[in-house]
Amino acid sequence: MSVVGSFWPSCWAPAETLPTRAAVAPRGRCLVERGQLRAGPPSAWLAVSLLPTCAQLSPNIQAVYRFPGRVWHLEFLAPRRALYVLCAWKGLYCLSLDHPSRPASQDDGESEDGEPPSPVVPVDPDACVLLDASLCAFTLLDNVLVTLVQGPAQWKMQLFDRPCPGEDPRPGDQIGEVTLSACTPVAGVPGNPTSPPFLPVLCCVLPPGTRVTHSHTWGHGSFVLDEALFGLLFGADATLLESPVILCGLPDGQLCCVVLKALVLPRSVPSDPAALVQILHHLEEPVVFIGAVRTEPWAGEAMGETLSTVHADCLVALGHHGRTLAIKASWGESGNPVPELREYHLVEPVLCAACGGGGHVYYSTPTDLCVVDLSWGGSPADPEEPSGGPGTLPALLCPASLSICSAVALSVAPGEAKGSAKLFALSAKGRLMRCSLDSTSELPGSARATPESTGRRVKELLSGIGAVSERVSFLKRAVDQRNQALASLNEAMNVSCALLSSRGGPRPISCTITAAWGRPSLRDVLTATCLLESSGGFQLGHGWALCVQVLSCSRALDLDAAGSAVTYTIPVDQLGPGSRREVALPLGPGEDGELDLPVTVSCALFYSLREAVGGALAPVDSWEDPSLDERAPNILPEQEGICLPLSRHTVDMLQGLRFPSLLPAHAQVTCLLGPAGNPVDAFLDTRRELGPEPAGPTSPQTKALSPSVACIKVSAELLRAALQHGPPGVPLSCATLQWLLAENAAVDVVRARALSSVQGVAPDGADVHLIVAMVDLCPAGPLQVVEVQVESPSLADLCRAHHAIIGRLQTLVMEQAAQGSSPPDLRVQYLRQIHANHEVLLREVQSLRDRLCREDEAGSHATAQRLLQVYRQLRNGTPAWSCCDPPAPAPTAFTA
Amino acid sequence: MSHQTPLDSASPASCLDLWREKNDQLVGQVKVAQASSLFPKRQQLAQDTLEGLRGLLHSLQGLPAAIPVLPLELTVLCNFIILKASLAQHFTEDQAQDIQQGLERVLETQEHPEPWLEQGLGKMWDSVLHASSLLPELLPALHHLAGLQAAFWLSNDRLGDLALLLQTLNGSQRGASEDLLLLLKTWSPLVEESDAPLTLQDARNLKDVLLTAFAYRQGLQELIRGNLPRALSHLHEAASGLCPRPVLVQVYTALGTCLRKMGNPQRALLYLVEALKGGSVLGPPLLEASRLYQQLENTTAELESLELLVEALSVTHSSKAPQLLIEVELLLPQPDPASPLYCGSQSQAKYLLASRCLQMGRAENAAEHYLDLLALLVDNSEPRSSPLPGPPGPCMPEVFLEAAAALIQAGRAQDALTVCEELLSRTSPLLPKMSGLWNDARKGSREPPHCPLWIPSTHLLQGQAWVHLGAHKEAISEFSRCLELLFRVTPENKEKGASSSCEQRCRSDVIRQQLRAAALISRGLEWVASGQDTRALQDFLLSLQMYPSNQDASFHLLQTLKRLDRRDEAIALWRRLEAQTKLPQEDATWSLPLYLETYLSWIHPSDRETLLEEFRTSLLEPHDL
Repeated sequence: MSVVGSFWPSCWAPAETLPTRAAVAPRGRCLVERGQLRAGPPSAWLAVSLLPTCAQLSPNIQAVYRFPGRVWHLEFLAPRRALYVLCAWKGLYCLSLDHPSRPASQDDGESEDGEPPSPVVPVDPDACVLLDASLCAFTLLDNVLVTLVQGPAQWKMQLFDRPCPGEDPRPGDQIGEVTLSACTPVAGVPGNPTSPPFLPVLCCVLPPGTRVTHSHTWGHGSFVLDEALFGLLFGADATLLESPVILCGLPDGQLCCVVLKALVLPRSVPSDPAALVQILHHLEEPVVFIGAVRTEPWAGEAMGETLSTVHADCLVALGHHGRTLAIKASWGESGNPVPELREYHLVEPVLCAACGGGGHVYYSTPTDLCVVDLSWGGSPADPEEPSGGPGTLPALLCPASLSICSAVALSVAPGEAKGSAKLFALSAKGRLMRCSLDSTSELPGSARATPESTGRRVKELLSGIGAVSERVSFLKRAVDQRNQALASLNEAMNVSCALLSSRGGPRPISCTITAAWGRPSLRDVLTATCLLESSGGFQLGHGWALCVQVLSCSRALDLDAAGSAVTYTIPVDQLGPGSRREVALPLGPGEDGELDLPVTVSCALFYSLREAVGGALAPVDSWEDPSLDERAPNILPEQEGICLPLSRHTVDMLQGLRFPSLLPAHAQVTCLLGPAGNPVDAFLDTRRELGPEPAGPTSPQTKALSPSVACIKVSAELLRAALQHGPPGVPLSCATLQWLLAENAAVDVVRARALSSVQGVAPDGADVHLIVAMVDLCPAGPLQVVEVQVESPSLADLCRAHHAIIGRLQTLVMEQAAQGSSPPDLRVQYLRQIHANHEVLLREVQSLRDRLCREDEAGSHATAQRLLQVYRQLRNGTPAWSCCDPPAPAPTAFTA
Repeated sequence: MSHQTPLDSASPASCLDLWREKNDQLVGQVKVAQASSLFPKRQQLAQDTLEGLRGLLHSLQGLPAAIPVLPLELTVLCNFIILKASLAQHFTEDQAQDIQQGLERVLETQEHPEPWLEQGLGKMWDSVLHASSLLPELLPALHHLAGLQAAFWLSNDRLGDLALLLQTLNGSQRGASEDLLLLLKTWSPLVEESDAPLTLQDARNLKDVLLTAFAYRQGLQELIRGNLPRALSHLHEAASGLCPRPVLVQVYTALGTCLRKMGNPQRALLYLVEALKGGSVLGPPLLEASRLYQQLENTTAELESLELLVEALSVTHSSKAPQLLIEVELLLPQPDPASPLYCGSQSQAKYLLASRCLQMGRAENAAEHYLDLLALLVDNSEPRSSPLPGPPGPCMPEVFLEAAAALIQAGRAQDALTVCEELLSRTSPLLPKMSGLWNDARKGSREPPHCPLWIPSTHLLQGQAWVHLGAHKEAISEFSRCLELLFRVTPENKEKGASSSCEQRCRSDVIRQQLRAAALISRGLEWVASGQDTRALQDFLLSLQMYPSNQDASFHLLQTLKRLDRRDEAIALWRRLEAQTKLPQEDATWSLPLYLETYLSWIHPSDRETLLEEFRTSLLEPHDL
């Protein structure tokens, strides 16, 4: 049984494509090496599958694990059959593959089409063996766990005791710590879990004496170097002690080594870290891979030893931008062993790499998977270079393409035939590919056509075609996305222009707002209905939203008015030309029975740039430059967009009034239920209603008081002129009432019965009585006036109704003035008279008030009485709109 | 899809209570974590609490600073800093910034906000404490924060700032007293009332910790500087304060070192015994005891203590999880190999034991210990041991050579050969190609390859081992190889030579000379033993030319001349020798490697005086005649 790490195929998690690195290592013991999972944060997935042999590669997925964060790195520990997984910003987890914990619940909210075929096991927090948010890399040795953590200013390598098999998987005590060079902070902080651009690379170099047993952790995380190179790189002490060495490639390009047996106990760190850390080289670009190959024929190979026991003689390190370093032991001029260093440049960016047999190094870029040959004579030798025998590296590297693109993880295993190799590659989309490479056919220039090789070649071509088509589909999708975004932007431009240029005229997209009482649940609710209609040829598509702001006017006077406004955002999914969309919003009353009229409802269209084009701006190949990874959302903040105001409507008392008395008798009962939706209260109210004493929900206290009264007097001339379009023959008082209640649902009944007074109920249940009558205001001459009288026991409702009426009158007067209609006949002389009267009365008020201050109690009563009388005179004796200068109309009569 | 932003209309009083409750609950959580025995659980819980405190602090600092809320805010800040520092086990700049932010918040409430940014932390403390004298309700929390500031400055060795802060806290005049210990002692932090929000560690406890840590740090520094009486008084102060066990062991050990250096070995011994009674950390007192016995020249006791030290270091005591508080240990400097309390690892102790045995002439023991050490270093697959006995010390090959020397000394020549062969085989890839060497030498064109000194040394020891086994031919060939390497190869890598100091180069030159002389003498002795006196004579002469002040060569030459009956030459040589012996012996300024010293003792002529005496009488006789 072998274990293959696989990752989430894209059909399961199509949402995002993140860099994924995995590898499957040598035959028989396949393991996942390095992984970043594909599902977006916060969930990370890891699929583990068992397969009988490598030849039959149809992974039968055994379990799918979900980690609390993105997986950065993982290593399989064969003797324990345990998987160590480094989870971003969390720490190190250990999963035993022998006893996969059964999922507690199968449905994780993934039951839609994203459901994987295997049970998803959320990883238990108890599986965390090392909790450290700053952990960036780790590697496993026989008995030691080596971790690299990022301190505030430096990288720190820490060593932990790793327990023997069968014990608790937690690492034991820290046995050593060494500080590496200064580091630039990894982008992103624990609170903001973005993926850092580059992670450090750790690998373990074993001394030549080490016999790699099968129990050894042998992946591409560790390798054996031959004596000469080992001694040259790490010195005599490491050679003598046969000490394992940890090689560390840092994102700043440093390649340094730490000799483990020279590490000292914790808390006894020598002050000079240079004693323990040796910098081998500086690549000057992020190190993405460290490995080793055998470049010269090796005696052990003849004895059938596998790749894992070959002592590599060339250390290879690859940088992200293609700079490649190869180090090999050579002899200096004077006969001394010296390291031979060579730098090459490969195509950037390098996503991942792997070392194979025969000096082959495989590396992957977004567009191709290439192989280079570092072995002696593998490449055309530099003519200037004297043939100094073994120990020389090729002067140039000739990459040979394998026609597989965007592999994000690689692993090479030796094939059955001598010189052949099996390559496992994980594509960016999550496909795990296996590819057999024959040394005779893989490299260009050696095309010997045997039936087998032709077959293999065809297979390779097919696989190449598959890989290319994968990439094509990626790009196609990106192009489509961008086209769509452009079309959407164009449409948005047209809509904006049309809406902004059609001031005054009919707008191509309109929104009408009406208010009506409805009963969606037990209690009555005043509902505003916004009707969005596209009458022109415009279409509103993805990205558009209707924003409705409901602002209660009484609160608008408060300082923190912003808090009282409620904005509803409703996405307009698709609104074709001529179609309409209706949105109903409850205005109240709320739980407390309060409804603060008037309420202003304003509608606007909002075009969110992020919603519409954000997807297209996301990088197509997120692995091309990992620093781009998380950039797209930052380009467009959520608020960015176009806002087009459509309409504004004020729902006032006159619209909020209900008229139970106008309804048929059977409807009255239900209609009069109090706004407080308590069924028991409703029932009790009903009982009272049916009882002998007919009463509204007015309290006895309010009833005892006489209702407040307000009246407004308007010039009949003005009203007549304004309402002349109404049906003829209707008395002016009736027409006025109909006009006032025009936006109320009861207007039809009022019209039908030709009422001039009506008894209504305010939203909070108080009675409101509207009476319209013709009055002759004539102390000095006949001036016909329409008097609108409002009566209510509740002063608040009275005020609201009064405010609503005044508001309408204002609008009316403005419209009249705008139409330039001739002002009704006006007797200026009379007005002057009234004004003079007012002056007299005001003077009297002044003197009375002065007297009130001076007089004692007995006298003051009489004075107060007189004062009240004068006030009455002042208020009553004035005509309302006698149509003076239209822009400054003022309500004048108010009686309490 | 609708979102609503209701107005938060909670009253401030209830908020204050809520925050306070949250703080108290988090402090309780830390106590629970402290009691938890499972390390990861505990760490997780502590981390969660830290996040909770951070969140609470953020919400408190999100509002404008207000005096009624500030005491709670400062308490939460103190709790946060204490937990963070104790989890990380050290103070970082982050904590300084946290403290600075706290101070800024206090200053914000002041009417005349001064530009604080360009001020240092010390200035800020000045103005804060000045301002807070008007706000007595803030003082306890500020004293608490000041305690943490003091801890931060103490751990960063910023004692000047610390002194100024303490002076301000004590209300004393600037420059009144520079004695930090006195200032610390006189500082009495105001204690919060009983109904104040809970703290992880109160200011008084913090003060005690500071006092002990400071006294110990100062004592240790004075000890290293050699200012012994001051060190003694500081260390006494530390020992008398609040002192956890492991620290007490260190303090007693330091006291022992101090008294030993002051010439009070008996009192030093008493303290060391106390330290050993004290606890589980036995390394430093045992090492100190061995030094003490070495000074007293009690070799048996010295070696016994070293043996105990090796044993003590082989036991890895599981480190106790640190308390979630600011402890004395947290404020102590990182152990430094230069410190007298540094005892190194087991292999280092083993090396010390082995080399002392060899130096003291206990060859059998030395051989055993060296073999143990090599087994420990080489066969032990666990990389937990540190091979080198603290810098500066011998590199690994020298340890091998010392082992071989000890084996030869103990009469185990065959084993010594094995060790040498092992050394050569393991380092063979590092050696220059010999065939190329000879070709180049014949051509004479290329510059000679370089070769570390321990390679000829190995051949030298191999030759000596063959001598002990009685194989003259092999011995002579090894000596010859050694000489070839010494003469034809540059000693060190050029780049290395450039970087190393002049002193090191001089030392390696001296060693090379000594090696050449020793190899020539040894080969000469072998020629003598195989009866080829003329060849021996040649070697001895060469040796004398190499190193004219080497008396050993002269003696061997004298003996050979005498045996060959070349009387005149012998007398001339004897005269020179007589003159040389009368001169004061040249001081060996360069300490030679231990293996070389041991080797030189082997070729040292045993009967120097008798030989000289013999000559003297034989020269006098003819005069008498």
